[in-house]
Amino acid sequence: MAKSDDCAHILQGLLVFGNVVIGMCGIALTAECIYFVSNPHGLYPLLKATENDIYAAAWIGIFVGLALFALSILGIIGVLKASRTLLLVYIILMLITFAFEMASCITAATHRDSLTPERFLKQMLERYQNSESASNSDNEVTKTWDKLMLQNHCCGVLGPSDWQEYTSAFRLTHSDADYPWPRTCCVLDAQGLPVNLDGCKLGVPGYYNSNGCYDAISGPVNTHAWGVAWFGFAILCWTFCVLVGTMFYWSGIEY
Amino acid sequence: HPHSRPRHPGARTMLPLLLLLLPAAHGVAQLGYRPTLTPSPPLEGLTTASTFVLEQPRCVFQDYGNAVIWLVVALDQATSTFNNTAGPGTPETAFQSFPDPVRAYMTLNATLGSYPCPKPAGDITVLRVGSETSCAQDVTRPTCNGPLPGPGPYRVKFLALEGSNPVAETAWSAQIMLRTAKSPNSISTTGSGHSAGMIAITTILSILFAILLAGLVAMLVFWDSDSCSGSSTFSKPESVTVRRYNTHHVYDQPAARL
Repeated sequence: MAKSDDCAHILQGLLVFGNVVIGMCGIALTAECIYFVSNPHGLYPLLKATENDIYAAAWIGIFVGLALFALSILGIIGVLKASRTLLLVYIILMLITFAFEMASCITAATHRDSLTPERFLKQMLERYQNSESASNSDNEVTKTWDKLMLQNHCCGVLGPSDWQEYTSAFRLTHSDADYPWPRTCCVLDAQGLPVNLDGCKLGVPGYYNSNGCYDAISGPVNTHAWGVAWFGFAILCWTFCVLVGTMFYWSGIEY
Repeated sequence: HPHSRPRHPGARTMLPLLLLLLPAAHGVAQLGYRPTLTPSPPLEGLTTASTFVLEQPRCVFQDYGNAVIWLVVALDQATSTFNNTAGPGTPETAFQSFPDPVRAYMTLNATLGSYPCPKPAGDITVLRVGSETSCAQDVTRPTCNGPLPGPGPYRVKFLALEGSNPVAETAWSAQIMLRTAKSPNSISTTGSGHSAGMIAITTILSILFAILLAGLVAMLVFWDSDSCSGSSTFSKPESVTVRRYNTHHVYDQPAARL
């Protein structure tokens, strides 16, 4: 009798501990996803233009995190009260939350894989300084690229030669002799004018930005995607264990 | 008659003299220099779609201080037919009619003073062919250094003119090909495949979810039976408190006996 008592207490204790961890992780997941959704690196217009759903995964993560927190409280109450109905409700709702979080993780991982340099290159060539299009998203793309190139001292996706190897919307309005690459690729002084315009046009090292911006884009995007995907995966593994324990506990409760 | 062929016996001495005079009358010195694209420092814009960058001809035309040095840009096929006496700024060498019908144009005139010798170390001495866009369509500027109309191939040489007489020329350069731009539609963005991480996440989570669903189904099916957990039934909290009360009594009795 005492032995199964101890077992009961140990299992209860473990389940309460498990639910506390789930609750805290839920809050952490919500905080992390809110951070990503708030677009800290200003890359949202680029990702939106590639018709990508990484932001959808983050939005799901916010709600899943809150649900996990609420359900963990329900779970603690159910375990301490050893109530069959409460725990059944808890398990069913947890499974639904599990399914949503699973979708969020897989979405984040899949869409991260699709953000290759080629995708950004094509989008940049078609939309940067696209004067024919009246759509607002092209202006957003142009502004984002300009800001990206100024802040990170980079040019193009793989390098300034992107503008030479491919025709682009930019090339339609800017002649190759005057603008081998956009002016934002030049090293600019405090007033925003090129330090040496001829040096920039020639491509003299030191007067233009020679590296590509892909690293500056993929760094934050990778952090974002893997943050959502792997953290969610870890939470789900832990939740799996807690749920299995809860099922054992539930099946052992007298009624 | 000065133009008649020499038929009398004195012609044999006249002929060698005439042959000697002919090259002197032409007088175009063949300089060994070959124009090249700038070798150093490495320039990103060495060749673009419509421009290219040449090394300046420093220390080449030292003997021709009075001459004006012109750059001749020709289509590759037109190098053998180019006539050194064609003057710059004429319709036959106007940039605006290049490449058809003009097959070689002359531009970038400079005097020897623009190419001081020796070249100061650390200076970047280049000639950018194709940099003047403002006069590309202006027929009043036939010596415009306008952007090249196609990818080439082109060849260039430097020609020194005194007045309108060519006095020295360099060799023709090697073929210069410019860059051709492809369309962005040729960039393939079709999937690069799925990374190992994504596959791992998907499979593991699917298996875990399936196990949980199976567990839930088992719970619901065996709702009413205690068969799985007969020996290890967890008692409800109420009976636990009752047992504690009993234990309290059990401990009390020996104390009472003492």
